[in-house]
Amino acid sequence: MASLCVGIQLTPRPPNVEFTSLICFLTGFLFGGFFGALLGALTMFINGFLSPWGFAGIIMPFQILGMALMGFVGGVYRKSLGKEPSARWFSFEVSFLAAFLTLVYDLITNVGYAVLFNVNIIFVLIMGTWFTIVHVVSNTALFGSALFGLTRIASNLLGEDLWSYQKEA
Amino acid sequence: MELSKRSLIVFCLGWLASLVLTSYVAGYYYMEFQKEAQLSRDYADMYNELVQNYTSLLNEHLELVQQYEFEKQNLTELLEKYGSCIMRVNIRIDYKEWNGTVVWYNDTIVPLGCNLLQATETVAVVNSTYWPDLQASFVDAINGVWNSPPYYWMWLYQDANTTTWTYGPVGADLFTVESDQVFMWRYEKP
Repeated sequence: MASLCVGIQLTPRPPNVEFTSLICFLTGFLFGGFFGALLGALTMFINGFLSPWGFAGIIMPFQILGMALMGFVGGVYRKSLGKEPSARWFSFEVSFLAAFLTLVYDLITNVGYAVLFNVNIIFVLIMGTWFTIVHVVSNTALFGSALFGLTRIASNLLGEDLWSYQKEA
Repeated sequence: MELSKRSLIVFCLGWLASLVLTSYVAGYYYMEFQKEAQLSRDYADMYNELVQNYTSLLNEHLELVQQYEFEKQNLTELLEKYGSCIMRVNIRIDYKEWNGTVVWYNDTIVPLGCNLLQATETVAVVNSTYWPDLQASFVDAINGVWNSPPYYWMWLYQDANTTTWTYGPVGADLFTVESDQVFMWRYEKP
């Protein structure tokens, strides 16, 4: 999964349009928050060294924290689900959640940057507005359109009823 | 509808995210507005300064034009006053043997009764030596080009009728020039 994430991260793509969040959230959703968080952290750690935008440097811990949160919330979200939700309702919820989590991720990395480089936090946040919007909108669309389908595929591949997790827990 | 507590929280978080994004955009445009406003002020200041400088330059120009007209008037009067005391000659300095160039000084104004050496000194830097035995001056250099055997500076005058060049018969300081005469200094092997 980490290889997949890093591979996609290294693929040429528009800035801030990424699939790592989706895969980490999905991993957390499928295998639990701990694994999701671990995948997020590992991916951002490797990506920090290989990113085509250059070495992440001291901003890397903040990226790791943000992506780990994404994976962790995937697990938490699954636990909070009861009976199998409708596809539309699920997609709505995860797209809203994606918007919020992406915003938190950007907030963490931007604040980390501002603190480390002693720059005004508000200034950094505002200067990154368009990057944040692209990130949030793309993730919202991705989660809303792809996550339910991916959970279905994973369910078939793993041969388990995803919604039985709640019942067994 | 499946509006559970979880869904409510999720939608609230999404709504919060949209609020934050909206405030980002508002902040961004506010900063851009401030930047543009500052730029507008700067440009307005620059424009005012430019107008001020332009006006000042225009005034100076007008003053200069007035001054020029005044000086021109003075000079015209002077020229009219001393018109009978000057004449015009043409002097050619030929450096062909040195660097292949020839320079003309046409309509050179010189005082009436001056000699060729004085006339040449009005257009070029001339180094000369007075020889008491000959009671004449010998030109050693013109504009930094010194005599260097076998090359020397020789002077010639143009015959008014035939336009042929004739070597000067005496030293340049002994030859009194006349109006509209044409002279040549040539760096050559005599």
